Amino acid sequence: MEAVATTAPEAPAKKTVSPFNPANAVTASRFITLPFFFMAVDNHQLQWATIWMLICGLLDKLDGLAARIFNCRSAFGELFDAITDGICYGFGLIVVAAYGIAPWIPVAAIIFLGVANTLMRVIYVKRAGRATNYKSYAMERLVAYTGYLIGFATGGMEVKFFFWVFVPLMITIVAYDTKRMLIDPVPGAKA
Amino acid sequence: MSNELMSPTAFKWFITFLTGGLASAWFVYDSINLLRTRKLDRSDASVRDKHFGYVMGILIGLVGVLGCLRFHDVV
Repeated sequence: MEAVATTAPEAPAKKTVSPFNPANAVTASRFITLPFFFMAVDNHQLQWATIWMLICGLLDKLDGLAARIFNCRSAFGELFDAITDGICYGFGLIVVAAYGIAPWIPVAAIIFLGVANTLMRVIYVKRAGRATNYKSYAMERLVAYTGYLIGFATGGMEVKFFFWVFVPLMITIVAYDTKRMLIDPVPGAKA
Repeated sequence: MSNELMSPTAFKWFITFLTGGLASAWFVYDSINLLRTRKLDRSDASVRDKHFGYVMGILIGLVGVLGCLRFHDVV
């Protein structure tokens, strides 16, 4: 997941980057894995489902690399990446819960907290008065864990342990980010 | 798609090595990050954000390793 740092008071003039660039193409390609993931779960081919979610997670890492190699980082790309994370991992979590291979209570809690975090980011962007987002180092790590959660479910690996441990971690991080985004002063915000 | 990719035992070890390897690497990476930045001024909010993120990364790494050990009934 990519996010723009909050510390720069005023962004310098940036070059215009087309939304049709290699990094966004890699990000968009993550959606291709979702129907294959769903079909694998539906046919109870859980090893295949794990591999498809693994590919989805790997592509998430590759888009940042592509952005650096082709020098095509953009605010749109970062937003698109975050939205793609939400859709792909949200879809994966709902599928594994719906098919009964993951406990639905932590899944519901994770989705609720994820939506709440997204709403707070929208408020933060409005508070900051610019199209940048709050860079949460902790949430970046948690998003990677989310991808893994789905793999744990389809791989049958300590599913209850990983899902239930995830919830207090996510509550802690969302609480910290809430304070930073809604209460603490915004660096470089418009007066 | 064939029914499955490998035997259940091979798959169990595949996801164990993948998870254990990544979780361990993550634990070490964020521990080093935390050590490197420990002397920075914590009155700076962005430094506190980094430290909080690294601590969470270390915890997540530990959870991953612990999950692998539980998976093989070690703990």
